[in-house]
Amino acid sequence: MAKGYLCFVLHAHLPFVRHPEHEYFLEERWLYEAITETYVPLIEAFDELVEENIPFRLTFSVSPPLMTMLTDGLLQERYLRHLHKLIELAEKEVERTRGTEFHATAQMYRDRFHRIRYIFTDKYQRNILNALRKFQDLGRLEVITCAGTHGFLPLLMHQPEAVRAQVGVAVDLYAKHFGRKPQGIWLPECAYTHGIDNILKEFGIKYFFTDTHGVLFASHRPKYGIFAPIFCPSGVAVFGRDVESSKQVWSSNEGYPGDFDYREYYRDIGHDLEYGYVSPYIHPDGIRVNTGIKYFRITGKTHHKEPYRWEYALRKADMHAGNFMFNREHQIRHLCSLMDREPIIVAPYDAELFGHWWFEGPDWLKFLLRKIYYDTDIVETITPYDYLQKYPCNQVARPCPSTWGNKGYNEVWLSRENDWIYRHLHIAAMKMVELVEQNPFAGGLKHRALKQAARELLLAQSSDWAFIMYTGTMVDYAVRRTKQHIHNFLRLYEQIKNNCIDEGALRELEYRNNIFPDLNLSYYNKINPGIYKATG
Amino acid sequence: MNVMLTWVLGAVILIVLLAVFLWLAKNRQKKPASLSPKVPDAPREEYAEEIAFPVPAFQPKPAVKPETPEIPWHYGMDRMVLMVRDPSWIFAYWEISATKQEEFARQYGPDAWNNSRSVLRVYDVTGIEHFTGLNANNYMDISINDEVDSWHIDVSRPNSAFCVDLGRLFPDGTFITLLRSNIVQTPSVSISNLLDEEWMWIEGIYRSITHLHMGSSPMMAEEIAQGMGLVPLGISSPGYISSTGFAAGKE
Repeated sequence: MAKGYLCFVLHAHLPFVRHPEHEYFLEERWLYEAITETYVPLIEAFDELVEENIPFRLTFSVSPPLMTMLTDGLLQERYLRHLHKLIELAEKEVERTRGTEFHATAQMYRDRFHRIRYIFTDKYQRNILNALRKFQDLGRLEVITCAGTHGFLPLLMHQPEAVRAQVGVAVDLYAKHFGRKPQGIWLPECAYTHGIDNILKEFGIKYFFTDTHGVLFASHRPKYGIFAPIFCPSGVAVFGRDVESSKQVWSSNEGYPGDFDYREYYRDIGHDLEYGYVSPYIHPDGIRVNTGIKYFRITGKTHHKEPYRWEYALRKADMHAGNFMFNREHQIRHLCSLMDREPIIVAPYDAELFGHWWFEGPDWLKFLLRKIYYDTDIVETITPYDYLQKYPCNQVARPCPSTWGNKGYNEVWLSRENDWIYRHLHIAAMKMVELVEQNPFAGGLKHRALKQAARELLLAQSSDWAFIMYTGTMVDYAVRRTKQHIHNFLRLYEQIKNNCIDEGALRELEYRNNIFPDLNLSYYNKINPGIYKATG
Repeated sequence: MNVMLTWVLGAVILIVLLAVFLWLAKNRQKKPASLSPKVPDAPREEYAEEIAFPVPAFQPKPAVKPETPEIPWHYGMDRMVLMVRDPSWIFAYWEISATKQEEFARQYGPDAWNNSRSVLRVYDVTGIEHFTGLNANNYMDISINDEVDSWHIDVSRPNSAFCVDLGRLFPDGTFITLLRSNIVQTPSVSISNLLDEEWMWIEGIYRSITHLHMGSSPMMAEEIAQGMGLVPLGISSPGYISSTGFAAGKE
């Protein structure tokens, strides 16, 4: 009987946004919305499957900034404040919509938000990572991580120590929260260039992912295309993204999330209702924001929208899960007729697609995993590490430098809108290596200053800032964050060089930008330039 | 007297009328809020005005914007860094110190700077083990302005290695290098012709991959352009951010 594997990868990431200096901060809502709409609904779906004794294997990547924010007391407290307001609004909505066709949806939101509060506070003690750890221990999830601050590694390879630090701090933070080292890594933006795999190997990482062409265009033509991993010459395995399964979920022309029965993202009461009514639930400065309560379905390609019907949407999600499975069965049968081993189909997605964008996404995933268990002998879910255990012998080839961004290479992160950042990022990385080299035995205040300098450098390197500059929305914030961290770094650099560290200012920075408290400075020790050949 | 009465009466009526009018107008403003969400079957303009970009009842205070600190543009060192953008384009940025310029003037004479022009010399160094500046496969020159300090270079050559010099070109063709970049390699755009005997490729698999989307965000761009309701993320989570972006991400 033909059989093959489906390897789901969900990558969860948000940039480090934490502003204790402000009571409310607009961009902190990214985290709150993602918890309510994506992380908790996914956890709820996994919990249901566990209760039904349904086995499944899924790879879940959590970026270090997200791990830090999810375990941060201040942000947990602020999230609960946010959730309480949301529940208050949902209760009001149930009253307001009484007798209208929106009433059932309003009740759905109210019940849902209450359940989310229960799952978040009571079940997992405000810590989403508790849930992920549990599913990992239950053999359902393989949790992996991502580079330190989601730095765009190919464009940092100019100073390989900067890339080593990005990987090193991520591995350490993962070990702190999950009690062991990660088996694999999600390279930010799937961005790979030669040399990165050598650094991964240094940290015991066994595999990573690239976009389809990263494997398909490898130095030697891969025997199985993207349906089996290849090994880099360093021995680290690479899994390439499958085209078909990606398109079915990503694309709104051919994909599921654009279905007319699904919930319309852009019609939010935070924008639609009377200002006076929603003002307590939007930004205190009066800026209208999404509340998460949306009453319409996509309906069609025009602005005309019909009321949302949850039961229609769920029925569609179930149908789409069936369709997805059918297509994978078909694909696997075909591949099995060609291959002398079981194929692996790698289907990676942004976690935030599920729930936040595609409201019914977590239900779709739950339906699909249930169907794969009950209705098919052809498809089985697997993680990359399991597959490598099963097939430890693989072809060796150098992957092609690539990303999963627009057009498949580095253009998004190196465009006319953001190319200016690299002259700062590169020199700061160089100065960081210099500082560590010159202060090998720093202790006390100087040691603290060195660590903070490294944090500021790491935060400046987030690929998110370059991406936001490229897309042209919220550019001010991204520019400000880049400049602020570079500025903080340069000040610390001068102070360390001149031995005149301003302790008050340092304490302030440690308080604000408190990511990686146990940062290991040795990652910035100079690397023999012969080891890694920077190629971009 | 009569005239006076008429005036007073007129004034009273006017005041009463004004009061009634004002009261009505005030009440019209206070009209109770419609309790069910508006269904936007209205034309686009109206939709945009009433729903997407509502005019708040009062002008909200602008959000407190923390100041953006100024950071230096020059770091006082000579450097030229070359980066890869894609198989066709590379990008160089550079910085040249005053000392370097003075050195140039000392060596080639005080007028040398003005008698020469700034040029980027882009060398194809594919397959060359030790590039000396003289052994490139070929090169092209790009004339640039003195004030420019970065350049996107169209090389249109995947799978090739490049190095760039910033230098001064004299009318007699003499080229003096001021800065030399690192070497970069452009990525491939196609399936390799190198076959592995031990792992002979399976043609059928390659036939089954019919559409190759390089990265997923072209779809995203397309959907934004169409102004459709749903914008799946193309690229990691920042896509999520860009569209949580208030108003700006909307139609």
